Amino acid sequence: MAIKIAVLVSGRGSNLEAILESIEKNELAAQVVAVLSNNPDSYALKIARKHNLPVVAVDHRGISRKEHEKLVLQALKPFAPEYLVLAGYMRILSGEFLSHYKDSNGYFKVINIHPSLLPAFPGKSAYEDAFSYGVKISGITIHLVDEQVDHGPILAQAIFERQPGDTLETFQARGLAVEHKLFPQVLSKIAAGGLASLIDETKTESSTNKNSAKEDSAKEDSENPADADDTDLVEESLCVAVVPKNLAARNNGTPVEMPLYWLNTKGATAAAEDEKLLAALKEVLADSLLENVLCVSAQDRQQWVTQWQDLGFKWFAERQYLPGVTDNLARTVEEALHLSGLATKVKVASGSAYLFNDEMNIKEVDSFCRYRHYHPVTDKFRIHDLKMPFPPKLLEFPAVHLPSTPEPELIALDLPDSELENLSRKRTLALNLVEMQTIRKHFEQKDVIALRAEENLSQWPTDVELEVIAQTWSEHCKHKIFNAVIHDKMAHVKESTMTMSMAGTISGKPVQSNERTITSLYKSYVQAATKQLAAKRSDLLSVFVDNAGVIKWNDDWGICFKVETHNSPSALEPYGGALTGILGVNRDILGTGLGAKPICNTDVFCFAYPASDLPNRPTMLPATSIIQGVRKGVQDGGNKSGIPTVNGAVYFNNGYRAKPLVFCGTGGILPLSVAGQCGYEKHTTDGDSIVMVGGRVGKDGIHGATFSSEALNIDSPMSAVQIGDPFTQKRVTDFILEARDAGLISGITDNGAGGLSSSVGEMAQITGGATLEVNSIPLKYPGLADYEIVISESQERMTLSSTKIDQLKELAAKHSVVLTVIGTFNKSGFFRITREGKTVGLLDLKFLHDGAPRLELEAHWQPPVTIDKIEQPPKDLGEALLRLLNHPNICSREPVIRQYDHEVQGGSVVKPLMGREQTAPCDAAVIQPILGDASGLVVSNGLCPQLSDFDAHLMAICAVDEAVRNAVCVGADPSSLALLDNFCWPDPVASPSNTDGKRKLGQLVQACEGLYEAVLAYNAPLISGKDSMKNDFDDGAIRISIPPTLLISAIGKVPDIEQVVTMEFKATGDHIFLVSAGALGLAATTYAQSMKWTSSILPELNLEAAAAAYQIIYAAMQKNLVQSCHDLSEGGLAVAVSECIIGSGFGADLNAEAIVRAAESGARYHDLLRERLDFALFGEGPARMLISVSPKNLSAWQALWQDSEISVIEIGKVTGFGVFKLQSEKQNELINLGVINLKQAWQAKLPFDEDFHE
Amino acid sequence: MNKPQALVLSGDGINCASETAHGLELAGFKAVVSHTSDLLTNPAALTGASLLALPGGFSFGDEIASGKVLAVKIRHKMLDLLHQYIDKGGLVLGICNGFQTLVQLGLLPNSNQTDGDNSTVSLRHNAGGKFINRWVEMSVTQNTPFLTSLQTISLPIRHGEGKIEIKPDAKADEIAFVQNQTALTYHQDVNGSFERIAALTNAKGNVFGLMPHPEAFVRHSQHPAYQAYKHAAADRKAENTIVCFENKFADGLVILKNARFSLN
Repeated sequence: MAIKIAVLVSGRGSNLEAILESIEKNELAAQVVAVLSNNPDSYALKIARKHNLPVVAVDHRGISRKEHEKLVLQALKPFAPEYLVLAGYMRILSGEFLSHYKDSNGYFKVINIHPSLLPAFPGKSAYEDAFSYGVKISGITIHLVDEQVDHGPILAQAIFERQPGDTLETFQARGLAVEHKLFPQVLSKIAAGGLASLIDETKTESSTNKNSAKEDSAKEDSENPADADDTDLVEESLCVAVVPKNLAARNNGTPVEMPLYWLNTKGATAAAEDEKLLAALKEVLADSLLENVLCVSAQDRQQWVTQWQDLGFKWFAERQYLPGVTDNLARTVEEALHLSGLATKVKVASGSAYLFNDEMNIKEVDSFCRYRHYHPVTDKFRIHDLKMPFPPKLLEFPAVHLPSTPEPELIALDLPDSELENLSRKRTLALNLVEMQTIRKHFEQKDVIALRAEENLSQWPTDVELEVIAQTWSEHCKHKIFNAVIHDKMAHVKESTMTMSMAGTISGKPVQSNERTITSLYKSYVQAATKQLAAKRSDLLSVFVDNAGVIKWNDDWGICFKVETHNSPSALEPYGGALTGILGVNRDILGTGLGAKPICNTDVFCFAYPASDLPNRPTMLPATSIIQGVRKGVQDGGNKSGIPTVNGAVYFNNGYRAKPLVFCGTGGILPLSVAGQCGYEKHTTDGDSIVMVGGRVGKDGIHGATFSSEALNIDSPMSAVQIGDPFTQKRVTDFILEARDAGLISGITDNGAGGLSSSVGEMAQITGGATLEVNSIPLKYPGLADYEIVISESQERMTLSSTKIDQLKELAAKHSVVLTVIGTFNKSGFFRITREGKTVGLLDLKFLHDGAPRLELEAHWQPPVTIDKIEQPPKDLGEALLRLLNHPNICSREPVIRQYDHEVQGGSVVKPLMGREQTAPCDAAVIQPILGDASGLVVSNGLCPQLSDFDAHLMAICAVDEAVRNAVCVGADPSSLALLDNFCWPDPVASPSNTDGKRKLGQLVQACEGLYEAVLAYNAPLISGKDSMKNDFDDGAIRISIPPTLLISAIGKVPDIEQVVTMEFKATGDHIFLVSAGALGLAATTYAQSMKWTSSILPELNLEAAAAAYQIIYAAMQKNLVQSCHDLSEGGLAVAVSECIIGSGFGADLNAEAIVRAAESGARYHDLLRERLDFALFGEGPARMLISVSPKNLSAWQALWQDSEISVIEIGKVTGFGVFKLQSEKQNELINLGVINLKQAWQAKLPFDEDFHE
Repeated sequence: MNKPQALVLSGDGINCASETAHGLELAGFKAVVSHTSDLLTNPAALTGASLLALPGGFSFGDEIASGKVLAVKIRHKMLDLLHQYIDKGGLVLGICNGFQTLVQLGLLPNSNQTDGDNSTVSLRHNAGGKFINRWVEMSVTQNTPFLTSLQTISLPIRHGEGKIEIKPDAKADEIAFVQNQTALTYHQDVNGSFERIAALTNAKGNVFGLMPHPEAFVRHSQHPAYQAYKHAAADRKAENTIVCFENKFADGLVILKNARFSLN
C-alpha cells in the first residue's frame, strides 16, 4: 500500500524530483500528498506544480518559530500525511511540532536526509565541512528527526569516495547522486515494512558491531600480550561529575562548566556505590571546600538531567575527546587513583559538562562553545535539551575499537607509470614518478632480488618498506627542494635608473636576464657560508649534523639551538598543533649529542590580522581562534615543561590567513664531556640496544592511507591531530638527563616526524645497520599495522642506544617513564624490521639514505611592478604616531608575554618587558645559562616577510640584520653570534595548480643569496636550520599562499651580565643618538600601509658599515658608555622613541631638523623622500638604532665613532617628564604627546585570549 | 661549621628544583635535590634535613587542580612522618606549586590537621582565568622565621591558580584564623585572592607557603627595574630616594637566608 508523504523543502528540491521520479517508475509505493516550503520562491514548488501536486508555502519571515510551526501544522492537516519527508528543509523543528507525528513506539515519523555520515559533520554546510576536512570517504545519512539538529535514529547510510582532483563542486555532485538514489530506496522500505523494520535493523546492526569489536579486541589480546593491560577491561562504565556545591546559585546567566569523567572499571567489583572507589574519587577529583562528586552508573545518568532541570537549567552540553585523542587529564586521574591506594584498575576518559539557562537557543550554545570549549577535530560535543520530556542520548566512554591487525601487504611495483603515480597518491606517499621509478628499479636489481629470496621475502616491497622509504625521502626529512638542481633565470635590477614621481608613475626597473644552474641551495649558500666562517670560529662544535647546532660556551659546556615550525597542524587544530610544535623542538634539544637540557624557548607567530576580511572558507578556522589556540598551546608547552619563554614575536599579514606560521625554538645546554666521552657527539656502537622511552604508540600523526578506510567508523582514532603531553615529556627529560650523567646513554635522538622509521633509520647510519622488532613496541591500543607502528608520530618519545639496560630500567621506574628495548644496532648494512623474529622489512641503508633521485627545478624571478602613490604628509604627526602605536604589528605584546613563564630556571637577566613599570619592550632576551656564572646568553630574532614580494634578497639581508642588531642592542658580542635559518615558503615547485611556482623558487634563490652575503658580512655562522615548503591553501575555489618568510634566530654571548643594556631611557639630560648604516624605505612599511599609500622605494643596507657599527656599539657598551639602546623596526624612529618613553616614564625633546638630517645621511637616500619629516619619523630601514648617552660620557662616546663613516647624529635629549616632544628649529611644536596617550594607544587590545571582545 | 641540609623535592613535573637548590646554597644551606619517588621510598631521609622545600612547577601537569596529585602521592606515603617532622620544628617551604601542595595536604594554614577535608582555604584559578608572570610588591603581615626584618618585598609571581578562596560558610573565628596566618599580602589585587593573600604560615611559623618565587630573586639583576635603578643610582648619587641595588637586597635571597639564620 502506498504511504502518504508530505515533502518539506526550502531550496531547489532535487531530492523531491528523485522521489517523484521513483514514484512514476513504480519503484516507490508512495503518494506525495503535499509539498510544503517555507520559501514561496523555492524552485521545488515549481517542480511540484509541474507534477500537479498540492503546493503549500508558509513563509517563516516576520513571525516567530512557534507561530510558523503552528501554521505549518495547520496547513498540513487537511492532507493527512503519514510521514513528513524533509528534502532540504532548512528549519529546525521543535519537540512540540514533532510530537504531532509521533508513532506508537515514540519515534517521530519525520525523515531527514543529511549529506554526511552522521554523527560526523552535522549542520548546514556538511559537504563543505567534510570536503575541507579532507575526508577520503563521505556519505549520506537518512534518519528520523528528533529534537536535536541532524540527530536521531539512523535509517540508512551510503557512502561515496572523494576522488583525486575533486573540487567541492565535483565532491558534492558525487554526494547528490547518492542522495537521489538512497532517499527513494529508504522510503520504499518504509512503505514496505514501516519504520520499525528499519530501526530494529539499525539497532541490531550496532549491537552486532559492538560484539564483533569485543571479539576482535579479545583476539588482539592473545596476539598482542604487550597490551593485555589496556584491553581486558569489562565494560562497566561509570560517570562522574564534579559539581560546585553552590550549583543552585550559579544559574545566573553565565554557563557553568564542570569536569566530567567516564570510568571503565575492571571487573564488576566497582559499582557506583563502591565506597573505596567513591572515597578515592572524592580525594582525587574534588576540591572538598567547594565541590561535590556525583558518581553514577552510565544508565543512571538520567538522574543528573532531572536534577539540573529542577535547578532551572535549559541546556546540558557534554564534551569528550574523540577516541584515541591524547587525554592527559585522564592519564593523570588514573595515576592519582592508583596513588590514592585504589586497587581497582580504572580506565578514565575526561571531558566537561556545561549547563546553560534558556537565555541562549541551541545554536547560540553551540557557537558559544565551538573553538572555545570544544574543537570538532578533537572533541565530541553534544547538547541536550533538559526541558524535553524524553531521555537525552548521553555520550558514552570513548573507547577505540579497531578491526583486527592487518598483515603486512605486498606492493607490486611492476606497474605502468600512471599507476605508479596513483599508488603514491593513494597511499599518501608523496613521492613523484621519478622517485617511484627509482624504487621500482631498486627492487628489480638482480642482487636485491637474490638477497630477498634468501630472506624469504618477495621481490616487491612490503607496505612497511615502502612507507619507510617514503618517510625517509619526504620533503620534510630530506629537504629535496634545498638539495635540488635549480635552473635559474636571474633578473638583475638596476635601481639607479628607477624613476619616481609624487603623482604616481610606474617605476621602471630594467631587467637583464641571465641563466645559471645551482646545485643544492643548501650546499651553495647555507652550508657554504658557515664553512667559510669556520676558520675564524673555533666555537662551532657541531653544525648541521645533529638535531640542533652546538657551539662552545666555555671549557665545560656547549650551547645548542634549534627552531622548527608546526604550521599545518596549527592550522587544523591550533592548540594541539602549537603544543606539539614546542614540545617537538624541546625534544630536538634533548636529542642533541648525548642529551642536552632545554633552557629557553623562543616563539614567533605569523597570523592573519584578527579583523582579516578575507573570505572564510569552511576549512579555515576563524582568525581569532587560530591566534588564541596557538597562544595557549605554546603557553602550556613552555610553562608546564619548566622552560622559560624568553623571546618571541607576533607578526600579522593576511597571507597567513589559511596557514599560520608557528616557529618554536629552544636553546639547550650540554656538558662537553660525559663519562669521559665527547658530549656533543653520539657513540652508538655495534651491538647496542635500541631503547624507546616515553609514550606508547598509537595512530597519532600517521599520514598514511588507512585513515580513509576508517573514516566510516566513528570509533576510529584521530590520526591527523596530535596533542602533546608536557608532563610526560618533563618526566622523560628528567630521566634522560639523569641517565646521561650516569653514563647510561651512548646515543640519542628524538621521535618526531617519521617516528621510529626516522629515528632508528638515522641512528642506524652510525653503526651501519639496525634491527627493529615491532612486536616489542608498546601500543596505546591494539589493531595497528606494522607500518603504522613504525611511522607513527606519537609524541613524547625518544630513541636511545645503550648497553646498560638494567640500570636504565631501574631509573625509568623511578621517573615513572615507559621504557622498552625494541631492537639492536648492528653493522649489517640494513635496516631490518621484524615481527616476532620474522622479517617484514629489509632495506639497504645506502639506498634508503642516498638513493633518492635529485629534483630538477626551474626558477624565474621577475620583479613586481609597483605604482608609487604617495600623498602629502598628514597634518597632525602626533595622530599618525598614535595610529601606528595602535597598529597590530607594533602594539604591546604584554597580554601574550604575561602568560608565558619567562623566568623559570632562575637565569633571567633581560626579560621581554623591563623597567620600573615592567613596560619596556626589550629587543632581545638575556639569560644566565649557568647559575652563578657571569656570562649571559642572548637570544633574538629577525623577520621581514613584508619585503619578500619586492626583493627577497633584501628581505633575507634585513632578517639577518634585525636578528643581529637586536642581539647587539642588549649587549651581545657581535663576534659571538650564531644563527639559525628557518624558511617557510609557498610551494616553489611549478605545476598546473601552482602557476607561479617558478617565481617563488626565484625568490628562494634570491633569499639564499642574501642570507649568504649577510652571514659572511656579520661573521655570524648558520649552525642549524629547517625549511617548510608547502605553505599554501587551496580548496579548489581559492588559493592563499603565505608571503615567503625567513626567520633568522640568533644566539650570542654577553661576557658579563652586569654589562647588558636595556632599551628604556635612563636619566634626564641624556643625549639621544640615531646610529644608522642604511637608508630608509617606504615600501611595505606600516606607515605607508596605515596611510593607504603604495610605494616601491626599498630600504638599503651597507652591510660592511653596519657590521662595523655593531662592533663600535659593543665596545661602547663594554666601556659602560651606553645608557639605553633600542632597535628601530616597524613604525620607525617615532615608534622607537615612544617605546623608550613608555618603558621609562622619562620623556624626549626631539629636533625635527636633526631627524631629517639623520635620515638623509643614509647610504643612498631616495630623492622622493627628501625633506619629508614624516618619512624620517616613520620610514623603516635596517641597521638603525636609538642610543642614549649620559652627558658625562659624551666625549668618550663620540671619540669611538671618530674614524668611522657611520652616521651618528644627535636628535634630542631625554627629559624628566614623560612627554614626547618634537620641535623644529623655528620652535614650532610638531608633536606633543604625554606618556599616558602613548601608552593608551600602544596597549591596544588584540584577541590573544578567549575573553577578548571587539 | 657543618651546613644545615635543605631537602629539595624534584620530579613529577616540579620545575624549579635547580634554582631553588641554588638559592638555598647561596643562603648557606647544603641543598640536596631528591626525586619524590626517592623520598617516598626512603622517607627517613627527611629526618636529616633542617628544611624541606617543595619548589614551584607543574607537578602532574597541574591536571585536576594544581598540587592535587602530588598531595595525594605524599599523603598516602609519608604524611605521618611529615607531621612528626613539623612537630619537631623542621622548616617547610612551599613555593607556588609547593604552596598549593601544602594547602592540598592540609598543612596550611593549620598544620595540625590530618585531613584535607577540614581545610578552610583553597587555591583556585586566578580571577580573569589567566596565568600571570609579573613582579609584584607585597607587605609582610606576620612575622615568621622566613620574613624576619622584612616589611615590603618585591618578587615575581608565575601562576594560574593563586587565588585564595575561603570556605563559603566560614565562621568568624575561621576567617580570623586565616587572617592571622596570612604572612604576605599583595599591594595590588593581582589575582582576586581573598584579602589579597600571597602567603600563609602555620601558627608556629615553621611551615611557610607563598605564591611568589623567592628563588627567582637571589641576584639583583633578576629584578626587571634593575637597569633603571642602576643608572639612576649612578647618575643621581646625591639623591637618597634611590634603591640601592645589590645582591644582599634581593628579597628572595633574604627570605632564604632568614630561614638559614633561624636555625642558629
